[in-house]
Amino acid sequence: MSPVNDTPDQLRQRLQNAGYLAGTDLSTAVWLAGELQRPLLLEGDAGVGKTALAQALASVQGAELVRLQCFEGLDLAQAAYEWNYSRQLLSFRAAETSGDRLKADDVFSRSFLLERPLLKAISNEGPCVLLIDEIDRADEAFEAFLLEVLAEYQITIPEIGTIKATTVPQVILTSNGTRELSDALRRRCLYHHLDYPTLAREIAIVKAVLPQVDTALVEEAVQFVQRLRGEDLAKTPGIAETLDWVRALHRMNVHTLVSDMGPLLATLGCLLKTQEDHFLASADRLQQISEGRRYDGVAVKNTPSETAA
Amino acid sequence: MTLQPARPASEQVAGFAALLRDHGLFVGPAEQIAMRQAMTAVGVLSEPHVRAAWRAIACHSVRDWRQWDDLFDRFWHPNRTRGGVKVSGQTKPRPDLRQAVQNMQASSGTASKPGSPAPATAGDKAASPDASESESPQAQGGASRAEAMVQRDGQMWLPTELQQLRAAANAITARLRPTPTRRWIPNQSGQRLNLRQTLRKSISFGGEPLTPVWMSRRERSPKIFILVDVSRSMESHAAFFLRVARAFVQESAARAFVFHTRIIEISDLLHRDSPAVQEKINAVTAGFGAGTRIAQSLHTFTRQHARAQLSNRSRVWIFSDGFDTESPENLSHALAAVKGRGAKVAWFHPTHKTAFSAALEGARRHIDVSLPLANLQDLMQAQRVLR
Repeated sequence: MSPVNDTPDQLRQRLQNAGYLAGTDLSTAVWLAGELQRPLLLEGDAGVGKTALAQALASVQGAELVRLQCFEGLDLAQAAYEWNYSRQLLSFRAAETSGDRLKADDVFSRSFLLERPLLKAISNEGPCVLLIDEIDRADEAFEAFLLEVLAEYQITIPEIGTIKATTVPQVILTSNGTRELSDALRRRCLYHHLDYPTLAREIAIVKAVLPQVDTALVEEAVQFVQRLRGEDLAKTPGIAETLDWVRALHRMNVHTLVSDMGPLLATLGCLLKTQEDHFLASADRLQQISEGRRYDGVAVKNTPSETAA
Repeated sequence: MTLQPARPASEQVAGFAALLRDHGLFVGPAEQIAMRQAMTAVGVLSEPHVRAAWRAIACHSVRDWRQWDDLFDRFWHPNRTRGGVKVSGQTKPRPDLRQAVQNMQASSGTASKPGSPAPATAGDKAASPDASESESPQAQGGASRAEAMVQRDGQMWLPTELQQLRAAANAITARLRPTPTRRWIPNQSGQRLNLRQTLRKSISFGGEPLTPVWMSRRERSPKIFILVDVSRSMESHAAFFLRVARAFVQESAARAFVFHTRIIEISDLLHRDSPAVQEKINAVTAGFGAGTRIAQSLHTFTRQHARAQLSNRSRVWIFSDGFDTESPENLSHALAAVKGRGAKVAWFHPTHKTAFSAALEGARRHIDVSLPLANLQDLMQAQRVLR
């Protein structure tokens, strides 16, 4: 049991103090993962705060954050360990020069081992948060290798033996859902699906991260982003994009979005990340979204007051 | 939480786990132990925390996640569940296709009652040269008057035929062209020398490259998505289509969906291989009967269900007659969105007749291949065309 997190609510409060606003569900899942010493699998679209949770958790626990960024082709040598061949050769040369005799065990010891993130997290003496980011980008074979690490918190190295964690790291896995993960991996993890936040929560998040920005601007900007998410976009803006955008508007000394569309158009790159989305988001359409007007095909449904005017 | 004092907590947890399993969640003994541990850790009186903790333990996917609240309330707060009806006989919910589709229909505001005429199909041409027939609602459904299965009536299937179906699914999958990636993988029969690995391996031989490492380009198999139209106009064909979908789900790890006015994923249900499931598939079409919103369903498919998985290695196969209650151009836009993600679209029509749906006609340019699929023989012939 982790002495730092007494209850889920206390953990939630600590995360909030660290600038991460988690709901009861999420804080309970994170807390439970620590209690049961189980990995936590976070799924959700890009930019909803999966990686940020691991960073905030490491911060509140005073733990070291060890991050393994997954990609296609990631293998054992890059994720767990690799023998330091250069150093082994140098040792042989040095032994030849000095006339000493080297045994195989001498060069296959921990001092000749290059620790990669997984081994580093397992070997860590103190508290540690292991972030395995975007696990869906790794290959199925690597996923199978992870099973031993996640179930037993140990890594078996043929030349040395099995290295077991003295302090069990808190493991957070994230996935964007680009590939379906195996049932074996899913069943070893606790699961939490992170969705886009509600309007109120997103406003609270932005205000917590950027307290210096006007409340009115934050509310307008978040409302706009929430409406934008309802559009048929190739890449839906996440919380990270909202924060970037509000930060940009603040740096440009913008105080409101209602009167002038210029700043919105100038900073649209913070929200829309594909050419296709930029093409769809014409100035007129953005004006409609900003004003909260509905759009149905080519027809704009005006409010009764607009019709009367 | 409403705990009944007559039953111990462990028994209630076991009952709840059984309900979860019935709805497709993987909750075994390990999960039940974890649930009891979680209940002890967070305190049984704190329901929001118990609910959240159990959700993290019992759910393993988004699908599980989305149905959690409903299942939790149904078991622990049956009095809060609104809209329930008193029934006799079998009351235990079963995770079958019929239930999934009926749930979809029940929750759909626009779905018509089973047995009622299908909504008028927008923009469709006459289903028959006979004008009086074309005016009737049944004729607007089109495919419901189409010829029956050539080999079977779609209701009774022999094990040998099911075996042939799976063999056909295997053969088609094997012929689908894999997509080459930029990555190279070790392959002793590869044509390209992996210089780095060769040099590394040479260290153990004193620098002599005695064990060259070869590599080849990595290829990724196509991902198949099957969308089965289960609207009223398709009721005589849906049983066959679902069997085809099941064969591909089991043999090729395809993802299968059914749609009429809404779309749901049924891959997990089709994975189960039991006589009971087979019987349910035999009877599944009995509950169908609603209009079709193909464009809207495709839109949901692209934006939600396959959002992160649609790419140039995706194959989207649509089993439908193309009758859509929305405007014909909507289907064209929806298919354009699928094609825009790089996926290859194949449209399987339930009859050998030329498709006459206006929506389908307008969307032809977004369909890579259009094929009839009325029987097993058609499926076998399709392997020559599908790539």
